[in-house]
Amino acid sequence: MFSTPKAAARFTRTAAASLAFAVVAAGTSAFAQSAAQRAVDAAKKMCNGKTITIVWEAGLQSLDPKNYSGPEWEKLTTCKVSVVEVSTSEMFTKIMQEYRAGTGAYDALNVIPAWMPDLVQAGALEQLDAMVDKYGFRDELQKIAPTYRDNQMKVNGKIYGFPDDGDVFVMYYRKDIFADAELQKAFKAKLGYDLAPPKTWKQFMEIGQFLTDSLKSKGIYGASQFREPGYGNFMFQERFRNEGGKFFDANMKAQINNAIGVKVLTEWRAENKFMPAGVEKFGFVENLATFLKGESAMTISWPPYGRFAAGYLADEKALDWVPKSTVAGKVGYALPPGGHPQLAAGFALSVASTSKNKELAYLFIQWLNSEETSMKRVQLPYALRDPFRDSHFTSKEYLSKWPDAKDYLAALQAGSKTGLLDLSLIQTDKYEEALRQGISRLWAGDDPKKILDDVAKSWDETTAKIGVDKQKAVYNAWAAKGGAYPKK
Amino acid sequence: MTVSSDALARPRAPVGERGFKYLLIAPSVFLLLAIGIFPLLYMLVVSFVGIDMMAEDWSFKGLANYKAAFADARLWQALGHTLIITAVALPLELLLGLAMAQLFLEKFPGRQIFVALLVLPTVVSPIVAGATWSLMFDNRYGPINQILGWIFGKEMPLLWTVDPTLVYPAIIVAEVWQWTPFMFLLLLAALSNVDKSQLEAASIDGAGYWMTFRKIVLPAIWPVMAIALLIRALDLFRIFDIIWALTKGGPGTMTETISVFTYVKGFTQFEISYAAAVALIIIVLLTVAVTWMLKKIEIAR
Repeated sequence: MFSTPKAAARFTRTAAASLAFAVVAAGTSAFAQSAAQRAVDAAKKMCNGKTITIVWEAGLQSLDPKNYSGPEWEKLTTCKVSVVEVSTSEMFTKIMQEYRAGTGAYDALNVIPAWMPDLVQAGALEQLDAMVDKYGFRDELQKIAPTYRDNQMKVNGKIYGFPDDGDVFVMYYRKDIFADAELQKAFKAKLGYDLAPPKTWKQFMEIGQFLTDSLKSKGIYGASQFREPGYGNFMFQERFRNEGGKFFDANMKAQINNAIGVKVLTEWRAENKFMPAGVEKFGFVENLATFLKGESAMTISWPPYGRFAAGYLADEKALDWVPKSTVAGKVGYALPPGGHPQLAAGFALSVASTSKNKELAYLFIQWLNSEETSMKRVQLPYALRDPFRDSHFTSKEYLSKWPDAKDYLAALQAGSKTGLLDLSLIQTDKYEEALRQGISRLWAGDDPKKILDDVAKSWDETTAKIGVDKQKAVYNAWAAKGGAYPKK
Repeated sequence: MTVSSDALARPRAPVGERGFKYLLIAPSVFLLLAIGIFPLLYMLVVSFVGIDMMAEDWSFKGLANYKAAFADARLWQALGHTLIITAVALPLELLLGLAMAQLFLEKFPGRQIFVALLVLPTVVSPIVAGATWSLMFDNRYGPINQILGWIFGKEMPLLWTVDPTLVYPAIIVAEVWQWTPFMFLLLLAALSNVDKSQLEAASIDGAGYWMTFRKIVLPAIWPVMAIALLIRALDLFRIFDIIWALTKGGPGTMTETISVFTYVKGFTQFEISYAAAVALIIIVLLTVAVTWMLKKIEIAR
């Protein structure tokens, strides 16, 4: 049949290659298009003038669906998007109230991943596995950065939300101050090591105090931090675990009042002395304003600080409220002391179980979360969505946004690898509320040990009310996750 | 001539006609029951079951929620905070409102404009008033600290909503600012209606200001004043917005009032049945207190 053995071999190779190509082609033919395009095509067929209502955090966050993704989705599919803006502190309440009322007013939701166990147990979220398979989204979900993908997507092994916001804490510091030769010399002489971004909280205190002592006359403080209780809750969780603390013991008894917890609160109060007056009330905006005005040499916050500080698209109308950065080009990025930043809050996209348009809502969030669309969304200057897919951290377009963008994205990616998850239990808010109240008492002058004893008592009461074994199972599942505690 | 009692009796309307008048008021009665009584009954039912964030457990739990409420120290502390705010703000609003009303009794140019301006805080939504005062008390950018700084000649970084010694004064200032005009308006109307001839007679008889006020003015305005006090006391008892905007009940639970406590339990922690029990306890307490007050001030008559 074949003239030579070589010809036979060539035929065999060609046939094998053709077969392999055919198999691959067959394998991908079902999903020949991108996940975003599949969502668009499917949605077009079922829109019929329908409107998807999505709950979104009020303020800059919601400019994403209002200015960009909502109009874009309508252009592509003819489906309309209605955005319900809710402040973060009210989002859980609103979602639960609507679920209890069962009106079907919300179709898609932004949920903080730590709430997911509560929302799933209550029945407020739709399980998404079947639709993920139907619309071929599983592969793209795998490309979400592992920390978010493995920890912020599932409850009891089932998908209830698509991680959509890489909310990791980053340390921002003033490169020009840290590089000042005179300061370096004086610091080394005083403390015996080189002036550099702190790796430990002890160093943070020493450097902060030194810089305040040296620069206060110029209106610069060594550091500023979130201290307002709502934000302090995240900062405490991060620092407590970086210092070696565990929230509960094997019997599910609260350990927050141990020596580590007391040390954290005691040091907080001491640190305030080298921070701007009134730092006790610093939240996102107050701390941002201080840093952008150049009044603080170090701070820790979410990724938008880095973009705002760099002056990235500072002329954007929606960013009128952001103080003009006086530190553009002078900001360095590092992991906070301890090296394990809090993956504080963040958002996942979910479908409301009471929605009357579940499939359409699903298609909208698949499109939002897809490689294609999310790449554009995380680069919107005003929308506060932060990189969460592997491709976002290495995007050539993003890397070229400002001169130090590569360092910024590298810090975000490093943080996503070592970051710590928010504590997530049944009725998480009750635990967080006790902690928030404790932090507010700290600023009112109460004793740290007494405060944390009361917080621990409150935690134990909540645990007892929910059921120790029941809560223990949820906690153990959470604690087994890679991002629950620093890896030794 | 005798007239039979039958002839004197009013002719009885046919049964259908008698039913018609009930038919006319039925929609209003139904509406009142629907919006007033039904939620109360529903709340009563909910307070005896076990609905929370995780479960819609409609099985009868007896007095469990009530027992838990009576044993909850935080609830009684919240009640204490509410009473403190009421006890301080109410007399202040009364005294300031009365003083302002006295001032505006006399006619002077621009009086109507001033009255309209003074009443403005009352028409502002309480949550907006709270948010505004939160900005006013801001330690860095708020005008209060700036003004104090000018007065004392140094920076005054007072943490009005954090410092335990300042947080109650901050709440009281915001509350008194917003609701004193309400007192002022009612008392101005009452004072304007005091019988002038009695005042003139007292003056001719040589009665001093305090004597005239105590013997003539106060008895004349008392019914209005009592109602104003009652309305404001009830309002203060359910104070929520200003506190939520200023402190959210903090530091810790230091300024948590009954309304804030119930909101947190019911709508952030979704302990629905427990919150219903708390609300009913408060309704009962308030009903008893109001009935007692009405009897005491003899307004009911």
